[in-house]
Amino acid sequence: LQLTQAHFREGQRLARMGSWTSDGTKCQWSDELFQIYGLDPRKGVPSTEEFLTIIHAQDRPPMAEAIRLMLEEERGCDVTTRVMRPDGKMRYVRCVAMRVVEQGVFKGFLGTGMDVTEQELLTQELRRDQAYLAEAQSLTHIGSWATNFHTGQMFHLSDETFRLHGFDPKDAPIPLERFFDTIHPEDREAITVALKHAIQTRTDYDIREFRICLPDGSIRFLRTIGHHNPSAEMGYYIGITMDITERKQAEQEREKLRQLEADLAHINRVNMMGELAAALAHEIKQPITAAVTNAGACVRFLEMERPDILEAREAASGTVGCATRAAEIIDRVRALFKKTAPQWEPVNINELIREIALLLQNEIRRHSVAVHLGLAENLPEVMADRVQLQQVLMNLMLNAIEAMQGVSAHLEINSQRTDDGQLLIAVSDTGLGLPTEKADQIFDAFFTTKPQGTGMGLAISRSIVESHGGRLWASSNSGRGATFRFTLPCEESLRT
Amino acid sequence: MSPQTGATVFIVDDDADVRLSIQRLLKTVGLRAELFATAQDFLRRNISDGPSCLVLDVRLPEVGGLEVQHKLAAAGINIPIIFVTAHGDIPMSVKAMKSGAVEFLTKPFRDQDLLDAIQEALKRDQLARRHQSEIAELHERHKSLTAREREVMELMVSGMQTKQIATALGTSEVTAAVHRGNVMRKMHASSPAELGSMVERLRLSSNR
Repeated sequence: LQLTQAHFREGQRLARMGSWTSDGTKCQWSDELFQIYGLDPRKGVPSTEEFLTIIHAQDRPPMAEAIRLMLEEERGCDVTTRVMRPDGKMRYVRCVAMRVVEQGVFKGFLGTGMDVTEQELLTQELRRDQAYLAEAQSLTHIGSWATNFHTGQMFHLSDETFRLHGFDPKDAPIPLERFFDTIHPEDREAITVALKHAIQTRTDYDIREFRICLPDGSIRFLRTIGHHNPSAEMGYYIGITMDITERKQAEQEREKLRQLEADLAHINRVNMMGELAAALAHEIKQPITAAVTNAGACVRFLEMERPDILEAREAASGTVGCATRAAEIIDRVRALFKKTAPQWEPVNINELIREIALLLQNEIRRHSVAVHLGLAENLPEVMADRVQLQQVLMNLMLNAIEAMQGVSAHLEINSQRTDDGQLLIAVSDTGLGLPTEKADQIFDAFFTTKPQGTGMGLAISRSIVESHGGRLWASSNSGRGATFRFTLPCEESLRT
Repeated sequence: MSPQTGATVFIVDDDADVRLSIQRLLKTVGLRAELFATAQDFLRRNISDGPSCLVLDVRLPEVGGLEVQHKLAAAGINIPIIFVTAHGDIPMSVKAMKSGAVEFLTKPFRDQDLLDAIQEALKRDQLARRHQSEIAELHERHKSLTAREREVMELMVSGMQTKQIATALGTSEVTAAVHRGNVMRKMHASSPAELGSMVERLRLSSNR
């Protein structure tokens, strides 16, 4: 028996668990229990009042209440309290009391006292970590989850995951289907396809953008990434879901801004041309007026009954002076333009075509034009002035768009390599076609069929293409419309 | 076409070559020109003396041509204006013509067109001046009438015969006839019809 008792003591010590019994009048503690509470066994079992003094002040009321219920109502308990041991150490102790009933008669309590300090501290740390994680998730709008898509089981769903889908974490559990139901109907199929593929191939997935509809009717953009552990069962994924709405909106804002800037640049260019032309016309008309008037005066002096040669000579030299001044103005203007010397750089023509198509999106939409880009791949770059080529493409495309009023407007831009290694770009429309009588005049300066046209577009375009060593020409389509083509020699063709 | 001797053509244009060439052209028809580079310079000049007209550029620094037209009208100066511009548009010319411009020429203009416009402007100015002096003369004559004579004149103009006038005024027919004679003499009218038109013009000018 002594040996048994020794084993028992040893066992209690190792488990840091003491035991006690109470039959209502007498209470007995095991040695380990005295040890746990830091009390001296020789002083005997403490009274209830004595016992409560070593309980942490904050935990004292619940402990006192538990004892009261035990004594008065014969109820069991399970309370964890902080104990301030006389040696100054603070321990967490879990106190459990079980009712002992023999043949329907209450006999007393059998209880344990367990030092749970380590577990308690660990639990607290875990809770703290979880709180930090939840805080981080809610700040970054990233939710974490672990689920088996195959079985619909959900092993982990962070609070933020609930919130991202418009649910309250308090309403858990929520079945997986209800999460799926929040996905925007238009995005549902694409996600299902992506998920099925990932599950079947046991691979990771990253759905970079999809929309969900929140109960208040608003739409948010989410991204979700799932990681499949190859050793795990099929359909088991852990992953994160994040809210990218703000980033998405910022992107859209940027795109809108970019479009606006492009529009503005376009308008500016058009306006600037108009302003420049008006200013230029005014400047040049002054000396021309003076020259014409001087010439008129000169003739009149000579036609007089008695011609006034002296005055006529003055008027004639005035004419010369004014005409010279007009020429000087034109020279000055040309010098002004020469300042912007062409900037030669390698240019990817396909990229340029796409840029201009993007730039003209508004016009394209306004005229309900269907655009088709047939761009050959792996075209070599050309040495060109990017801005000038943009101008050519914009001119040709704008002309095409404006030529197509009404039904089935179709704009096609093709790029390809010719047999002799040059690039050939074709802009084809289904518009009015070339003016049959004047097909050869369309490249002349000031030739225009448009009420607001300057008649400079095609003339400038041709001069730009030719300055790049290419050719620009037009032909009527066999059906409707016209096609403008231009060539550009690329570096390779220049070398050979 | 006879250019008025002593007439002055004012030229306001910020381009010196244009000013000088117009001056030269005017010389071929014996017209005197006065040149101004800005509207302000011109507006400072007293232009009430002698027959004249104005060749005015629309686009001028600070005070533009249309504004000059407006200022002159506001000051009651009725000098005929020929506008010239290097970049005229239709609304602008309509506005100028509605405000009483003689002509709106775009640069470069034909020399004959400018000379024709100037002749037309000077003719208008002459007519206006003649009209002005006639009205002044009529007012002088009207002032010389007695109150009774003015009364008689009104009745004459309304178409009454001497007898009816006498009845209306309660005088003898002889007295009425004397008043009538005085009116005709003082107003320099040779017939009742002429008197009628004189009274009409007086009314118009004093209504203004």
